[in-house]
Amino acid sequence: MAAAIETKQLTKSYKARQAGTINVVDHLDLHVEEGEIFGFLGPNGAGKTTTIKMLLGIIYPTSGEGFVLGKEIGDMDVHRLISYLPERPYYYEHMTGLELLKFYGSLFGITDKAKFIALLEKVNLHRDMTKTISQYSKGMQQRVGLAQSLLNDPKLLFLDEPTGGLDPIAHREIRDLILSFRDEGRTVFISSHELSEVELICDRVAIINKGVIARQGKLTELLKGGRIEITAEGVPESLLKNLNLPDSNLRVLASGLMLDMPEENDPNGVIDAIRSQKGRVISVVPRRKRLEDLFVETVTVKGGKS
Amino acid sequence: MKAIFAIASTTVGEAIRRKVLLIILLIGVLFIVVAPGLGILSARSETTVLKSFMLGVTQGVSAIIAVILTVYMIPNEIERRTIYTILSKPVQRWQFLVGKYLGAVMSLLLMMAMMSAVMALMFFLQQQSKNAAEIAELLKGPMMYFVQMSLLAAVAIFFSTFVAPLVNFFLTVGVFLVGVFFNPLFQSLQDNQNTATLVKKAAWAVNTFLPNFANYNVQNPLINQNSAIQNEGRYYLGITVYGVVYICILLILGILIFDRREV
Repeated sequence: MAAAIETKQLTKSYKARQAGTINVVDHLDLHVEEGEIFGFLGPNGAGKTTTIKMLLGIIYPTSGEGFVLGKEIGDMDVHRLISYLPERPYYYEHMTGLELLKFYGSLFGITDKAKFIALLEKVNLHRDMTKTISQYSKGMQQRVGLAQSLLNDPKLLFLDEPTGGLDPIAHREIRDLILSFRDEGRTVFISSHELSEVELICDRVAIINKGVIARQGKLTELLKGGRIEITAEGVPESLLKNLNLPDSNLRVLASGLMLDMPEENDPNGVIDAIRSQKGRVISVVPRRKRLEDLFVETVTVKGGKS
Repeated sequence: MKAIFAIASTTVGEAIRRKVLLIILLIGVLFIVVAPGLGILSARSETTVLKSFMLGVTQGVSAIIAVILTVYMIPNEIERRTIYTILSKPVQRWQFLVGKYLGAVMSLLLMMAMMSAVMALMFFLQQQSKNAAEIAELLKGPMMYFVQMSLLAAVAIFFSTFVAPLVNFFLTVGVFLVGVFFNPLFQSLQDNQNTATLVKKAAWAVNTFLPNFANYNVQNPLINQNSAIQNEGRYYLGITVYGVVYICILLILGILIFDRREV
């Protein structure tokens, strides 16, 4: 599959008075495929927004190279095919929703009013299109932001904290919209702190810490390594011990025994063994690894580049 | 071109809604409205006082509006992150800067046109002057002030591409005051045979590199019948061309700096 975003050793350095040169983004190798929703995660100050700004051509890399939709970053032709929704965006408050789309549309040379209205309908703002932005709630402002980001029918969308500070209903609306972008064949690059949200919608993620990519890959692969807890009664402890399952723990509970093992092991084999001894399986609970666990583990244990 | 016009018209839309600018404009208009009553306070001819006061208010208020309007224009766009959504579209940085500048000039034009209209009306009411030529003569002042303020806006936009707003404010006001009040002094220092060579060179440098805002102080010939500009049309055209050339130079320099700036 073709790469929507590709960076090679992309670096952004700033000179600090006392600390010398600081690499805010440090030799970043990023690969985002076309048509996927890619989560770009990291703690505050990790270099997420700096990376996005470099990819958009708003700031210039110190070294390395980057390609967006096959063209070098900063290429103005690419700007016709991408769009950006910044974190906590501000829009000209005196404008109505419709006027705002007219303004951003004019930057592309788009003047089709029917298109503006259709986009406002898509984000469910068509009934409020004559209200000024100052009358819009946070969620409405975010939705009008998404509408403006769709004006040029972009192949690639950069969304910086798209659900930040929104209530649960607005969260859900924005999430559904983002999922609809993937269905339409667009690539979505999301920078976010909302890990549960990212886990629900992203195909692949990269975790950046202190300017360095600490992990990158498919969510399904990164979240491998979950565990399964099997609770049973009426079986001797020795039976489960003799199964010799690697990396497993056996605990004695008041109600029986609990075997905690990696999800790679076949639970059916354990269940069969318990039943063969006339034991009773009380519960089988898969403990899936969550993105939050992976994130905390990556940022605190791995720590990126120190 | 469409992008520049869109940015310019949005800038006008914002400017005419900025309360601080509207209050300053209102104060200016109020001063012009009460101007006819001030004639009795001065021993000079009522018409002289009226013209002088109204032109002075128009120039002063326009200068304040020009500075406030432009000094924070670019930093505000960066701080509010509106610049990111614009620059991520197919808009070049020079288009953004030129659009903002043209928007500022269009806003100034609107506000100065309003003050000029009130000035013309008050002059008409006070003088009962049915002579359109006399009113048109008076309006030459605001027309030249408009070129002056457009130049002032270009100075502020130029500085805003590389200095913080507060520093920009002092720099812009400083350049304007030097250009308005001290340019004749530097000119005379430059022309004086007895001036030391070093001082002459310094005066030449200031005169050459700082915009000569004093060119546009045309109130004297408009107020006093006895002082007239020789070859008036040519003079006005000359200083307008000077202003436009200076504005272009400032904008080009600003674009070159802004193009490399991290925003």
